[in-house]
Amino acid sequence: MKSVLTAVLLFFLVVTNMNGQKVFPYETHYVELPNGFKSILIPMDSPGLVSYYSVVRTGSRDEWEPGKSGFAHFFEHMMFRGTDRYPGRVYDSIITSIGADANAYTDDDLTVYHLNFASEDLEKVMDLESDRFQYLNYSKEQFQTESGAVYGEYRKGRTSPVSVAFEKLREIAFTEHTYGHTTIGYEADIKDMPNQFEYSKSFYKRYYRPENVILVIAGDLDVAKTTGMIKKYYSSWKPGYVMPEIKPEPEQKEFRKAEVEYDGKTLPLILIGFKADAFNVNDKDYMASFAFAELAFGETSELYKKLVLEEQKVQFVAGWPAMQRDPYLFTIYSMIKNPDDIDYVLSEIDKTIEKFSRELPDAGKLANLIKSSKYSFLMNLDTPENVASSLPPYITLTGDIKVIDQFYNALSKITPEDIKNAVGKYFVKEKKNLVVLRGK
Amino acid sequence: MKNLSVLFLLIIFLSVTTMISAGNGPGNDSGVIKLKVDSDPTVSFRIWFKVGSQDDPKGKEGLAYIVSSLLSEGGTKTKTYSQILEEMVPLAASYSANLATEMTIYSGRVHKDNLKDYMPYFTEQILNPGFREEDFNRAVSDAINYLSTTLRYSSDEELGKAVLYNSVFAGTEYQNTLYGTISGLKNITLADAEAFYKKYFNRNNFVLGIGGGFDESLVNELMAELKKLPEGVENTKKPGKPAPVEGLNVTIVEKNANATAISMGFPINLKRGKREWYALAIANSWLGEHRNSSSHLYQVIREERGLNYGDYSYIEHFPNGGRLSMPPVNVARNNQMFEIWIRPVPNETRHFALRAALRELTMLVDNGMSKEEFELTKGFLKKYVLHYAPTVSARLGYAIDDRFYGINGSHLEKFRKMMDEITLDEVNAAIKKHLQYKNMQIAIITDNAQALKDALVNDSPSPITYSTPKSEEILKEDKIIEVFPVKIRPEKIRIFKTEELFN
Repeated sequence: MKSVLTAVLLFFLVVTNMNGQKVFPYETHYVELPNGFKSILIPMDSPGLVSYYSVVRTGSRDEWEPGKSGFAHFFEHMMFRGTDRYPGRVYDSIITSIGADANAYTDDDLTVYHLNFASEDLEKVMDLESDRFQYLNYSKEQFQTESGAVYGEYRKGRTSPVSVAFEKLREIAFTEHTYGHTTIGYEADIKDMPNQFEYSKSFYKRYYRPENVILVIAGDLDVAKTTGMIKKYYSSWKPGYVMPEIKPEPEQKEFRKAEVEYDGKTLPLILIGFKADAFNVNDKDYMASFAFAELAFGETSELYKKLVLEEQKVQFVAGWPAMQRDPYLFTIYSMIKNPDDIDYVLSEIDKTIEKFSRELPDAGKLANLIKSSKYSFLMNLDTPENVASSLPPYITLTGDIKVIDQFYNALSKITPEDIKNAVGKYFVKEKKNLVVLRGK
Repeated sequence: MKNLSVLFLLIIFLSVTTMISAGNGPGNDSGVIKLKVDSDPTVSFRIWFKVGSQDDPKGKEGLAYIVSSLLSEGGTKTKTYSQILEEMVPLAASYSANLATEMTIYSGRVHKDNLKDYMPYFTEQILNPGFREEDFNRAVSDAINYLSTTLRYSSDEELGKAVLYNSVFAGTEYQNTLYGTISGLKNITLADAEAFYKKYFNRNNFVLGIGGGFDESLVNELMAELKKLPEGVENTKKPGKPAPVEGLNVTIVEKNANATAISMGFPINLKRGKREWYALAIANSWLGEHRNSSSHLYQVIREERGLNYGDYSYIEHFPNGGRLSMPPVNVARNNQMFEIWIRPVPNETRHFALRAALRELTMLVDNGMSKEEFELTKGFLKKYVLHYAPTVSARLGYAIDDRFYGINGSHLEKFRKMMDEITLDEVNAAIKKHLQYKNMQIAIITDNAQALKDALVNDSPSPITYSTPKSEEILKEDKIIEVFPVKIRPEKIRIFKTEELFN
């Protein structure tokens, strides 16, 4: 543990001087193969433990063909069904025998397969992982059975009013772009999944290619040996990535609103989505929106104090900046205690935005919030898993870990004027989408 | 290389655990647990107060939760909650009080650079909580909303578990959720909260856990501060034992839902630390390791038949199972239960899924584990438990739980050691002694409850059809599962509406 923690400590010294450009506190090594496959190795003094993250830069964003919503996530499930060399059961039993903690998840822009295990098992894991990324093979029957599990996952999530409202928000906000559907997908498409066996093969062929996957290994590893292993196991992988044909979203020019009835009792929920930009550390307005989320809607914001703590009209209120590959939404959401207060809460949110578009926020407060978010990010980087798991959202956007340094350096330069400009740019009525969900 | 790495792993465990030193604080019987990691640039605190939801007074169920909430999200005597939030931003640190059935943990973590500025906030909150009207009202209203809308309507899996615990632990301090009941919450006054705090958050009722890169002087300073807690005595209350379950009992909650959530179980008289516990842990891991595809129930119900998202079993309380992938710390309890969790299945397969799960349990109890299953599972567990406590704060949590369970040394270290020692015979003996399938509580959240009741009473066959082809082997086994006897007497089935719960 020693050098890991020392590295974090060193970072803190650097930040306090505020001159450092390096934010990510560990040494990193890149391995790039001729087939386009990139690996990032992060040696840490975490004796005996390794974390292994395969980040596929494909998620529900890439589901551009009609009727295929939810497919990236479904495909994530299929990746556990095995190959000729290691059929699903054999894969499972090897993972079990090495006591690995293994799982996967899918989001808009990425699908991540992750394992934590003892470093002595690194080569065994690399053999298994490189095998399934290149030679996945499942029967039609297995494919169809797994679609039942995916439907089960949909059903378990469907009882949440937040997922119901969220599905609607995306639907009204995006008329062309694939962000119009959620990662789990539409129920009709999930029902139809058993019929998509052939399509699944094409999905694998197009997206599970070395140019589209980044491997992160953090923990107790020998860089030279691990590099050798990567060459041995991943060099045979044939390139052939095919870009998805995602349609750009036309500019939104009018306010959009939808009311949803939830099939059960719930407190009313409001979701507001303002059209935002794609992730871009070089765009001041975009970076300012990160700080704005905390300033305007965070726990120390005037709005939170008023609605949550003093008047207690809402259960919660929060703002979330977009962090997507293509232009997405800055989302504001709140759960309101009394349905009669919905309009009041909406007007308080409008007033907040209006105030920030007029007045400069306090510079000291802004600096504190930015410093705090950086400290929090770094304090979390204390185990191989915490390090590896913090990277995918960043590296999937740019394909490079340097973006973390760029991100926090850009954030620390945001001024009160930048916030005011960004609010004026993004938070206008014709870019606004509103969903109001009520219970029965 | 191989042996060397294993040795390394072992060394981490040993080095951590041997650094835990029990000792009494100055003029205090509560003690200190220290987990010193000099290279850690942060300091973690976990103060264990011996109070939990089991201490809720009758008619004021939810009081322990309200107090823990006021300690996490409330002001102090001198500052409002929003002032505290504002002032703590530059420290990039926070603190909170987390309630369990028999313990409350007041915890925090901060970078050493900010320690000096952080400590006054951390201690002021626990020494001089504000008990402010606005914080109290907010905490009560949030808790009532959770019970009356969120739990009743928007989380069927959590609802199923709450209903199961209510049946298994009926009449004991464990029967309510941590949030108490709606009527209990409505009955609580601010004065009740303050009195509860004074009674239980006292200078003789805690154990200080401190980990990471701290200096010895910090321990002394903090102990001196904690001596300013109210005067009081150690809470030695032990919860009542649950009554034995007789026969198969079903509680159905009728709800307009397109999927059915099922949970079932019975009390077991076994806690971690005992050799038998580790033997049973092997059997349980094979049957249903949490969120792991190695779970046998998962294989049968999800992997082969695609009926749902996952199927697991437990021999220790495991709250927040939907969110956590590894067992939580500091939810230790004196009474444990065996539990099976079937994630939502389509309504038309609910009877079949229930049968499939009970049949697997029956086969495990009757036949025990095979040599091959045993070898694979203990090898798995020996390495898998390494993932249970990756951070200093989690290890500190385990150390506190060790103290709760009276384990000398470390549970996790013992866990690994036991995987080398325990024999298949011991595992099968533990299964026979602690598991069974005839006496159980079953909680089912579903629609059309009467139809399910009729089917259970008549033990009607529950044939299953798939929209997708299945192998001969599976179809053959389905024929056995669909008539697997699970006959339930009509008086053993209760039907509720969601509105009738948590009142």
